[in-house]
Amino acid sequence: MTVTVRRVLLPLCGIALAIGGWWLASSLDDRTPPPSRVFHVLVDGLGSSDGLLLDTRLSVLRVLIGVAIGCTAAVPVGFALAWFSVVRDMFNPLVSFFRALPPLALIPLVIIELGIGETARLSLLVYAAFFSAVIVIYESVAAIDDLYVRAARALGASELELFRRVVVPLTVPQIFVAVRVALGVCWATLVAAEFVAAQRGLGAMMAKAQSFFRMDDVWAGILLIGISAVIMDRLVQLLMARAVRWQERVVR
Amino acid sequence: MTDPTVERISFTDVRLGFGRGRHRLEVLDGVDFGVRSGEFVSVLGPSGCGKSTLLNLAAGFLKPDSGLVEVDGAKVTGPDPRRGVVFQQYAIFPWLTVEKNIAFGLTLKGNRRPKAEIREAVARYVDLMGLNGFEKALPKTLSGGMRQRVALARAYATEPDVMLLDEPFAALDAQTREFMQELLHGTSQRDQRASMLITHSIEEAIFLSRRIVVLTNRPTHVHEVIDVDVEWPRTPESRTAPAFIELRRHLEQVMRSMTTLPTVNR
Ligand SMILES: Nc1ncnc2c1ncn2[C@@H]1O[C@H](COP(=O)(O)OP(=O)(O)OP(=O)(O)O)[C@@H](O)[C@H]1O
Ligand SMILES: [Mg+2]
Repeated sequence: MTVTVRRVLLPLCGIALAIGGWWLASSLDDRTPPPSRVFHVLVDGLGSSDGLLLDTRLSVLRVLIGVAIGCTAAVPVGFALAWFSVVRDMFNPLVSFFRALPPLALIPLVIIELGIGETARLSLLVYAAFFSAVIVIYESVAAIDDLYVRAARALGASELELFRRVVVPLTVPQIFVAVRVALGVCWATLVAAEFVAAQRGLGAMMAKAQSFFRMDDVWAGILLIGISAVIMDRLVQLLMARAVRWQERVVR
Repeated sequence: MTDPTVERISFTDVRLGFGRGRHRLEVLDGVDFGVRSGEFVSVLGPSGCGKSTLLNLAAGFLKPDSGLVEVDGAKVTGPDPRRGVVFQQYAIFPWLTVEKNIAFGLTLKGNRRPKAEIREAVARYVDLMGLNGFEKALPKTLSGGMRQRVALARAYATEPDVMLLDEPFAALDAQTREFMQELLHGTSQRDQRASMLITHSIEEAIFLSRRIVVLTNRPTHVHEVIDVDVEWPRTPESRTAPAFIELRRHLEQVMRSMTTLPTVNR
């Protein structure tokens, strides 16, 4: 009973409170549409196949592809950086540079080189996902407790066995963390990229809505981006909880 | 294998320091001792004198600056499954169940056994360490004493020639510790395996060992080597034998004389 209250009722109360606040704000400021109007836009738009639904699908798909390619590439590179000191010493400055460089700073370059098509957007997303994930993976391998490495070596593990049977299992949780970080960075990058250069997608939809002062659509866009991002993040968390049941949970 | 005159582990004039320049710390300053075949030896010494360093040398995790560390007459060059190690911090793999932890060494290429043999070894050590019913449990669900038993089982399952134990029971409560000491004594008694135990506990050293190596403060050398003249094999009653108590008094005095810290906390 108390568990349901805590895990279902309380969050619902929080959301209700926020919607209440939003409603209050809309009644004070006539540029802010009331929740009911925005929900109406959402229901309508998600109902028709080339409306909001298409934009949402496109944006989600772009983020997914970007994160999938970026993280897949980041895993071996992150391991290589952590495992081979020669690789690390050679590429560390480069990785730091590209990781510190905001992906959006590359938009002008990408537009000139690749135009404003799908390739351009996806390249930017892959870039964003790769460099945010690679650091997380690299640092997680580097932070592995030497104790486990020694224990495995003392039991007779070869380098390869050490890697496969100790380093990889210890790093799996961090790979999920890397995916979550990449998701966050990718959403930020995507929306901005779609503002600048895209026909469809939530960012493009919002940019158009803004130029026509369609506040309902702007708000609907904000909601859809937030909700999609939260759902994706929760899904990764769920997968992670299943994959790494061995981890000790300190909280809760 | 049990020829009592052959030294299985030997330290000859071993010197080792850490760091360089102003940060240089000389730790081992000519350590000499050996552990003979089938013998259980404890190493006792003040905190920070280099006991773990000594064990890491024997395990092959460290190399001496000078001197020789040999096992079975061969210079130690790196870790080897013929030398089992039990760590103070357990070091059992948290992502593996109890039985997979115990089987780990037997599934590695260098030491791989047929499936049936692994199953049998796991069952034997689960039994021996009283872990029945917890074969499929993950380490996070075990108590400290059980985790340490898994660590012991994992190290013993590969049947190493030599066992190296670094304060394996330091984190356990008094009752569990005594129980574990008796368990370990039974095991090493049965296997006649050369063992080197690092410990802080005088009681533990006397209870388990044939001989005790007492180290000095840093820079460290051997202060004295004591033959433990308490009836063998040891039983819970050994702890109250006159020889036991006499030796404990002696060692307490030696250890106290080496403690240079202010005594307000004790
Ligand atoms: N990798 C290292 N780098 C620098 N100093 C080290 C290193 N390992 C150990 N030392 C130092 O060497 C000394 C001996 O360390 P060691 O861990 O062997 O002591 P110990 O006798 O096991 O201590 P304790 O009884 O507290 O476990 C300590 O002063 C420690 O600070
Ligand atoms: Mg120590």
